[in-house]
Amino acid sequence: MEVCNLPLSPTQRAKLVSAGYTTISSLSSISPLDLARDLSVTQNEAAQILKIALQSTRFDPSINNNNNVGIVTGGQTAWDMLREEQFVTRITTSCEDLDNILGGGINCQEVTEIGGVPGIGKTQLGIQLAVNVQIALECGGLGGKAIYIDTEGSFMVERVFQIAEACIEDLLESRVFQQKDYQACRESMQPQTFLTNIFYFRVCSYTEQIALINYLEKFITENRDVKIVIIDSVTFHFRQDFDDLALRTRVLSGMALKLMKLAKSFSLAVVLLNQVTTKFTEGSFQLTLALGDSWSHACTNRVILYWNGSERFAYLDKSPSLRSASAPYSVTSKGIRVASSHCKKIRMM
Amino acid sequence: MKPENLLNLSTQKCTTGCLNLDRFLSGGIPCNSITEIVSESGCGKTQISLQLLLSSQLPISHGGLSSSSLFIHSEYPFPFRRLHQLSLSFLSSNLNVFSSSSSSSSSSYNPLDHIFVRDVQSAEELIGLLAQIDRFIENPPSPLPVRLIVIDSIAALFRSEFDNTPKDLKRRSSLFFKIASMLKLLAKKFNLAVLVTNQVVDSMGNDVVNGMRVGNLGCLYTSGRRVCPALGLSWANCVNSRLFMSRSVEIVGKETDLEEHIGGVRTRRKLQVVFAPHLPDSSCEFVVLREGVFGVSS
Repeated sequence: MEVCNLPLSPTQRAKLVSAGYTTISSLSSISPLDLARDLSVTQNEAAQILKIALQSTRFDPSINNNNNVGIVTGGQTAWDMLREEQFVTRITTSCEDLDNILGGGINCQEVTEIGGVPGIGKTQLGIQLAVNVQIALECGGLGGKAIYIDTEGSFMVERVFQIAEACIEDLLESRVFQQKDYQACRESMQPQTFLTNIFYFRVCSYTEQIALINYLEKFITENRDVKIVIIDSVTFHFRQDFDDLALRTRVLSGMALKLMKLAKSFSLAVVLLNQVTTKFTEGSFQLTLALGDSWSHACTNRVILYWNGSERFAYLDKSPSLRSASAPYSVTSKGIRVASSHCKKIRMM
Repeated sequence: MKPENLLNLSTQKCTTGCLNLDRFLSGGIPCNSITEIVSESGCGKTQISLQLLLSSQLPISHGGLSSSSLFIHSEYPFPFRRLHQLSLSFLSSNLNVFSSSSSSSSSSYNPLDHIFVRDVQSAEELIGLLAQIDRFIENPPSPLPVRLIVIDSIAALFRSEFDNTPKDLKRRSSLFFKIASMLKLLAKKFNLAVLVTNQVVDSMGNDVVNGMRVGNLGCLYTSGRRVCPALGLSWANCVNSRLFMSRSVEIVGKETDLEEHIGGVRTRRKLQVVFAPHLPDSSCEFVVLREGVFGVSS
């Protein structure tokens, strides 16, 4: 059992790995005092880490072999699922406040929908996630690859390059290196590598989009290290040429089911970017995400990006386990970052 | 279906013919993308489109696309006299380029030969045109390939025909998405730069401030009016980048010789990024002169 599977914060994981604690068994016979010294953290924090490690040893099926037999093959008890959920990895958004309301980042195994008006930063967030998923394991990331499905043509390689460069810069800054390691690390992290690890598909019609999503399963089976699928945007091709709205709903929910299945079976994150539209209710126009009411069931999580004064905010609108909350973020030349005014308080609703 | 290699996929840009504007736009108008310029009438959107028709003919080494271009206009009349005037100054300022690249026919190189103009009067006509434009782009009546489409303006096609009823609005937005997706398909297939211009409408009330706010700028002001781009939210979803041109009139004390300072009044024009995937929130002042549109370095 690896340390990187522990439900710890990325920095803690990185510290453990760089101090040489790679397996959980290596943590089994160490005192909090020693661990605190090795990781240069407080004794309290070290004790916390050991506690979590101890809990997961108890959960580890290889050690504790209780005979849970599913009623049907593939069936699981809720306890099993809860246990597994602790090891679900998350992809950071590079904005601490945003990560906080999302419970640590974009969840793998789940479909997350992100919507907002043009210019709010949907594509920027998509690119940021495609870069961040590639942060190496020893830096607290996933070390995965990304699939980027572009339906709108807003994906700009020069921007990906910028964001990747800034991401590398930040990673190198946040770690303390010996001179030699620094060089090695610097060489291993090139923006070009980040670009080659993004599988980019441009689709020009909704039939192409559906065909591609059907093909994804095969593609991901061949490229197991894909950890995120981003569709920018899921909406565009479905907003023309559909006179038969019932057909549209069927096609869309079929697509959503496939994406959910992908997310579960390959343990990857699916991020769907959506546009907003005005909806006529009770005599007034209101803004909602596009594709209608039935589509809102299609995603596990839903995040709405909006303007508040001159600041960008994200609002967690739907989540099975987290409470609704909003947090500011900003779009900078480096990508998505903490809002510049740096108001730390997060409004809980 | 194969993923594309991002390392070979850098976006080509078409120069605007002015270094300051190019720097502001990080190289010019991007290919394989729809760029929209929004402004009230008389700000210079047609001027910059005409200039682009010419600068796209520059060879790639000079920031152009070495291409001919298609100008689809819905506002009358087509400003051919101004285009002719611009083409003369374009030729004289790029004399070395065109004399060296086609040495035999240098004297006969006429930029106007590589600009194709077509008028459309309704959205349906535009869709019909776009549907059969493939053949034209594949075999253009010019030695240069077509790499630039300018539509001036998209708003004029939609401003008369549609009622403000839910049914008509729905039909209208469906047309937007249809046009946008056809343009994007063409842009992808032939690696075209697409520029569309749009008009503004006055904005009232405060719903615009947060809910309906599109892009980086809280409010757009031009000539002291608060405006927002025409065609609403659904069209905003259709374009990749949106630029906004504004002007304001300033009274200066004495008359000067510059063309822009007539009668002691100076017009300041500004180009701003409303949203774009590759550009930060920024703005750039520009002037419209006899020779064309030029950015003012700050």
